[in-house]
Amino acid sequence: MTSLIRNPLTIVWALLTTVTLASWLIARDGGASHQINTTLTIVVLSIAAIKAQLVIWHFMEVRRAPMWLKATTSGWVIALFALLFGFYFAGI
Amino acid sequence: MTDVAEGFTTGVGNSRPDAGTRGHVPGDSSMWFFVIGDLLIFGVYFVVYMYFRGQNHELFLSSQARLNLDIGAINTVMLLTSSLFVALGTAAARAGNSADALRRFWTALAFGAAFPLLKMFEWIPEISAGLTPGTNLFFMYYYMMTGLHLCHVLLGLIIMCFVIRNLKTSHPPKISFVETGATYWHMVDVLWLVLFALFYLMR
Repeated sequence: MTSLIRNPLTIVWALLTTVTLASWLIARDGGASHQINTTLTIVVLSIAAIKAQLVIWHFMEVRRAPMWLKATTSGWVIALFALLFGFYFAGI
Repeated sequence: MTDVAEGFTTGVGNSRPDAGTRGHVPGDSSMWFFVIGDLLIFGVYFVVYMYFRGQNHELFLSSQARLNLDIGAINTVMLLTSSLFVALGTAAARAGNSADALRRFWTALAFGAAFPLLKMFEWIPEISAGLTPGTNLFFMYYYMMTGLHLCHVLLGLIIMCFVIRNLKTSHPPKISFVETGATYWHMVDVLWLVLFALFYLMR
């Protein structure tokens, strides 16, 4: 049991869950008025990008994968969120 | 390309103690081509959604207010926890510990199965309140994208059942098959993390 708790995968999960709960509280309280909120959006989209990268890197084991797979998956995260931020700011 | 070829040939049968080494493609490489294709297709949907959101903020913001943020967040934790147990189960299978692997995959299946159940508790009141794909552009995207994702979840749960069967019946289990199933399940998790931010969180 102790080994499970100290497992690096469990630590990654604890981090992912903590930032998920943080996003939840931020959206529930800060976003309750349902108006455009760029600060909130920057925070929650950045957290989503970091979470996606953490899952890909540690759970999907891409950190130990060949360079082509690291580049493709990380490239997807970077390109996707760059476009999402771009279209968000272009639209407001 | 050597790495790709290696991915096709390794772990076809037995447990592989060297699988933790660098340059290893987890599971079948053909699954990775599917995963990358799926990430690209969903990526296009995400960007198109953001474009149309920019065209009509008021509609998207007022529609977002009708979603159940709490169930969305709980479902995110369910998928993350399920993914954790899949990753722990894969590590146990690789280490040759089938009993632990089996326990962890059953736990992952339980957390994963909670997702569609909670989704029903989310969708049924929404549909009963008259919020359908025909309501407006936001709800069209919402039902289309989360529905497509739900199909991936259901397929992932079926794949996980096959992984469990493999762990129960094959001695030693086919590690490549366990890794392939795990890769698919983690992709389902990644896609949900983006959907959760786009539909429930951002303003």
